[in-house]
Amino acid sequence: MTQAHPPRNIVFYADDDQDDLELVREAFHNYSDNVEVITATDGAEALSYLKNINEGDPLPCIIILDINMPVLNGKDVLMKVREMDFLVEVPVILFSTSSNPMDELFARRFQAHFITKPIVAEQMGKIADRFIEHCTDEIRAKIRRR
Amino acid sequence: MKYNEFEELSEEEKVAVLYADALYIGKRKVNGRPAILYQLDTFYVEVLYLKYRKYIARFIATDDLTILDPYLEQIKIESFV
Repeated sequence: MTQAHPPRNIVFYADDDQDDLELVREAFHNYSDNVEVITATDGAEALSYLKNINEGDPLPCIIILDINMPVLNGKDVLMKVREMDFLVEVPVILFSTSSNPMDELFARRFQAHFITKPIVAEQMGKIADRFIEHCTDEIRAKIRRR
Repeated sequence: MKYNEFEELSEEEKVAVLYADALYIGKRKVNGRPAILYQLDTFYVEVLYLKYRKYIARFIATDDLTILDPYLEQIKIESFV
């Protein structure tokens, strides 16, 4: 059986800031043929999406979590994600507005990466690539295929 | 670094310093445009955007604590929502 469309790579991003959600969607625009950005606006919604992934459903190729979110913050979500065996191979990035060394340490403790939110566009243009760098080699090649 | 030394930096240098070392305090709207307040060493820097994270209108660097007021007001309001 052949597929009409190649399978999409899901980038899952949780952030309560609508402006940042929009900017990250925009940052992945160049990869829109190969990447689908799915978003959540708080930690509980993020966790609910991830918990409800069924066997056979595509897993996100990367999970990006804002730290300061209502209901459940990004660090809490990260800890819960690390309890989910089926997500063990999925890279997680804590995406924060400031570069707090304690947050970086926390990310490392839970096998996650840490990226500071850009302040201006020049940095923003590179952000999708910085996220993709953390994907596996196979996913990276698939995403960058035109 | 002191706030008057920060003011002497180019825009590129200000962005680099904030990106590397600043602590995020809060976000608000000023005349409908976004602003972000950071703490850097012993002073504060408010970044006023023309377009969020795309074009910066200006930086306000100060050690005057009243710059925190609108952000603290926001926290008070949010805690009641």
